[in-house]
Amino acid sequence: MTTLARSSRRYLTRHPWLTALSVLGVALGVAVSVAVDLANTSALRAFEVSGEAVTGRATHQIVGGPGGVDGRLVARLATEAGVTERAPVVEGDARTARQPGRVVSVLGVDPFAEASFRPFVGGPGSGLDAGSFLTVPGAVLLSEGTARGLGLAVGDTLGLRVSGRPETARVVGLLRSDDDRSASALHNLLVADVATAQEWFGMTDAAPTRSAPDRVAGERTAGRLSRIDLILPVGDAAAVERVQAVLPAGTEVRPASSQAEALATMTAAFRLNLTALSLLALVVGVFLIYNTVTFAVVQRRRVLGTYRALGVTRGEVFRVVLAEALVVGAVGTAVGLALGIALGSGLVRLVTQTIGDLYFVVRVRELALSPAALLKGVALGLGATLVGALRPGWEAAATPPASALRRSTAEDRLGSGAGRLAIWGAAVLGVGVATLWIPAGVAGAYVGMLGILAGTALAMPWLTRLWAGLAGPVMGRLLGPVGRMAARGIAASLSRTAVAVAALTVAVAATVGVATMVSSFRTTVEDWLGSVLQADVYIQPPATVFRRGGAVLDPGLAAGFAALPGVARADAIRVRTLDAGSGPFDLVVSRVDSVRAGIYRYKAGSSEAVARGATRGAVAVSEPFAFRFGVTVGDTLTLPTDEGARRYPVAGVYYDYGNDLGVVLMDERLFAQSYVDTGITGTALTASPGVDPADVVARAKALAVGRQQVTVQSTRDLREASLEIFDQTFVVTGVLRLLAVAVAFVGVLSALMALQLERRRELAMLRAQGMTAGEVRQMVFAQTGLMGLWAGILAIPLGLALAAVLVFVVNVRSFGWTLAFVVSPSVLVQAVALAVVAALLAGVYPAWRMSTTPPALAMREE
Amino acid sequence: MIDVRDVRKHYREGEAQREVLRGAEMTMARGTVGALVGRSGAGKSTLLNLISGIDRPDGGTVAVDGVEIGGLSERDRTLFRRRRIGFVFQFYNLVPTLTVAENVRFLLDLERAPDAADRAAALLDEVELADRAEAFPDRLSGGEQQRVAIARALAHDPALVLADEPTGDLDARTGGRILDLLERLTRERGRSLLMVTHDESTLSRVDTVFRLADGTVTTERAG
Repeated sequence: MTTLARSSRRYLTRHPWLTALSVLGVALGVAVSVAVDLANTSALRAFEVSGEAVTGRATHQIVGGPGGVDGRLVARLATEAGVTERAPVVEGDARTARQPGRVVSVLGVDPFAEASFRPFVGGPGSGLDAGSFLTVPGAVLLSEGTARGLGLAVGDTLGLRVSGRPETARVVGLLRSDDDRSASALHNLLVADVATAQEWFGMTDAAPTRSAPDRVAGERTAGRLSRIDLILPVGDAAAVERVQAVLPAGTEVRPASSQAEALATMTAAFRLNLTALSLLALVVGVFLIYNTVTFAVVQRRRVLGTYRALGVTRGEVFRVVLAEALVVGAVGTAVGLALGIALGSGLVRLVTQTIGDLYFVVRVRELALSPAALLKGVALGLGATLVGALRPGWEAAATPPASALRRSTAEDRLGSGAGRLAIWGAAVLGVGVATLWIPAGVAGAYVGMLGILAGTALAMPWLTRLWAGLAGPVMGRLLGPVGRMAARGIAASLSRTAVAVAALTVAVAATVGVATMVSSFRTTVEDWLGSVLQADVYIQPPATVFRRGGAVLDPGLAAGFAALPGVARADAIRVRTLDAGSGPFDLVVSRVDSVRAGIYRYKAGSSEAVARGATRGAVAVSEPFAFRFGVTVGDTLTLPTDEGARRYPVAGVYYDYGNDLGVVLMDERLFAQSYVDTGITGTALTASPGVDPADVVARAKALAVGRQQVTVQSTRDLREASLEIFDQTFVVTGVLRLLAVAVAFVGVLSALMALQLERRRELAMLRAQGMTAGEVRQMVFAQTGLMGLWAGILAIPLGLALAAVLVFVVNVRSFGWTLAFVVSPSVLVQAVALAVVAALLAGVYPAWRMSTTPPALAMREE
Repeated sequence: MIDVRDVRKHYREGEAQREVLRGAEMTMARGTVGALVGRSGAGKSTLLNLISGIDRPDGGTVAVDGVEIGGLSERDRTLFRRRRIGFVFQFYNLVPTLTVAENVRFLLDLERAPDAADRAAALLDEVELADRAEAFPDRLSGGEQQRVAIARALAHDPALVLADEPTGDLDARTGGRILDLLERLTRERGRSLLMVTHDESTLSRVDTVFRLADGTVTTERAG
């Protein structure tokens, strides 16, 4: 170890608190970013692994319209297209009766066709007893882990709720997995015979299409299928064409990977938002590093000046400053990785929960330790350290030896450069704002946001000096010389105070921005719910995924609800998930008359136009749909139907905040022309005048008893349930916001400690001259409080600017939503309070330290 | 050894310019001891900075040991200082995070001198601080710290030692001992020593006195 390195090491170990705070700052920044990254990659991997089990080794899949695929196609594929490797599949989700919150996936397969596709079912060594699998009613296979989790053994029965109906599964065998990955893939998966699954999911009925071929007698896969898996020779386009030639209208063959890609794209915006929030924590971490390194440089000006005077070159000084920072960065990164992994395992539950609520059932919820995410964490930690250390390192190296020996050089330089920095800041801010107008996607919006943050940070020395100047006379009047000194101390130590104020401002502004975005979003959703929930009672079978309908209501029961006494109007609702090849969206089918069309607010078109259009074959689309697929009123939409692709003109674009994937609203008569009715998925009842909706709820619940489990909700209940789900989806955001504040708090604490410790000699002299310990404490708190107050005040406009970007740019570019901009005064008050309390808390240790150190000791230590 | 020719130096003070050196000239022979005296603000430290290459003159030339320092790059001036000049400061300027021995061998270590430890130990012996080699500077008295600084200034065997008020922070008795030590060690090694001082009593022990006033230098032979 060189002498310079040894000196650095001792400097770090002699200031354990400051070193620890810097390490903690980097660690928290890295931890948040790694945790979010791991949670995101784990969620994707979960989907990938879940997909692996159900897709198996299939190269292609035959998928149909919303009604599914005709089961008789399996036989025709062999006879007419020469496909030997084909496997029918029925897929669906169910809840376990024993653990009602637990969702399991059911995979219905033909065990004789499975060996090539999913060896764990029909392959050699799978231990499948085909006899009992095919003959025992409700027979299922499940992995050992899942059986253990559900407390089941071979021979036991498992109660299920499928679309609210009770079903009984019997465990006839266990699936064996060779490694951890296949064990994960089989988690929460029940494998049943295709006929059993068809029965459970109501797919036993005849062909879904009107143009289907004649039924082949005795074909055991007749009825409907979710899809047919195929293994076709790689790169053999002719084989694909041969398959396509035998497919009826509305059915097509696709590569097996397209589904996974569509779902990854679907959640991309959600994951990007999380990543952006995690990077915010890292930005605050960079401030922290900058502050620490600046402090190390400023505090050792004299030593660095001596180095330079004795003959240490600029390059050597620069390297020593950077090396010190990198040591802190490396330790912080290592701690951050460990913390990130711990935090990530908590976060992955929240993220998969949210994805599960919003998009699709995620069966696997374990943290996947992705080397790429960990490497990214290392690069971010060390990169942030380098970025934070460059300027102070350069300052240390560039200071000529003669002036390096003058104590106030750094402050002089920053003080005189504050105005120039502010001009640069304004320019960077301007560029950031201008970037927002460039249509560069969500990433572009975040670059613009970064410009706004960086611009404000650059202007911070000037703004802080301005504040100190304004506050000085007031503080003087309030606290006398102690108050004046507190304010002047801020201006005199701009190199540290401005950075601390900037870090706190950015973190608090982030909370203002995100809170305002969430409250804007929530208010918009509340208003929207008030508008769309026009009926009095809503009934639907319990869905496994919020915003994904699909579970079918017993037809007799639906008719019964409509005929209940006190019901004036019953609107049947059918929800189908469609996929035109570029990701899924929902088709909502209802009677689109003037009443129904009138409940929506239109961004383009009108309720009259939509009601009129419905009679002429037109549909309406939700705002996210219009955004996602680039359609508007007057355009023609091509939708997959059970009779092949059909074109529909768009008569209106309406606001909808319940589904970010997009919705097409179609009249039920139009639906009947091209789709097979597989049953209604919900019904909305309007009570007759004078009838209490609570009575209708009670009657509907009584009617359903013993027939089907359904959710019967009054408008108020549904509204509350919807908002509860809404709040739940923002839990992750809230957690990340708190973490960003925690990093900022550490930053402010570090900056204030550095500041106060550096002033030890000055304070010791004041103490020696007669300043009491109490007055020292008062001065420290006055100073930290002033800094906190300023950070809080500045965080308001900055936070609102961030909120505006989130609401008007990020949300629009991510989901296509138009949101109202709602500023809650309580958020602003909380922001100022948060900043002041954080700053005052950060001042506790320095104040205590300063007031209890004997003046003689402090003076000698200098 | 030191050859200063028509050196000018000015500083900006707000809008105004203050000329500190106006055609200063001085010559000091190798192996001699010189004193640079003058009132506060006369420009003594400025001249010392120019001789050591810490600063550059606005005009004129400064040559040390035959090398014209103003013509060197910043890096070369730094390396020149590291190899040819020893520094003793008024406030010692020891590195607080290095032990006494490490401070003494600091420049030798930067140059990766193989005998750094032995040379540092020998010098510490000469300044009678061998028993404090592993102590940190904050445990030493002012006089002891200045003795360490002298050892550090001589460790790399420089051609010229520059001392900026080396006794300014010490009592008269300790200051006297420090000067004895500095003068003895420099002369024994045949090196040159130029010190800035306010103390007229010091002048009796030097070979040449350079008096700085109104931006110019007057050379007086001592004693």
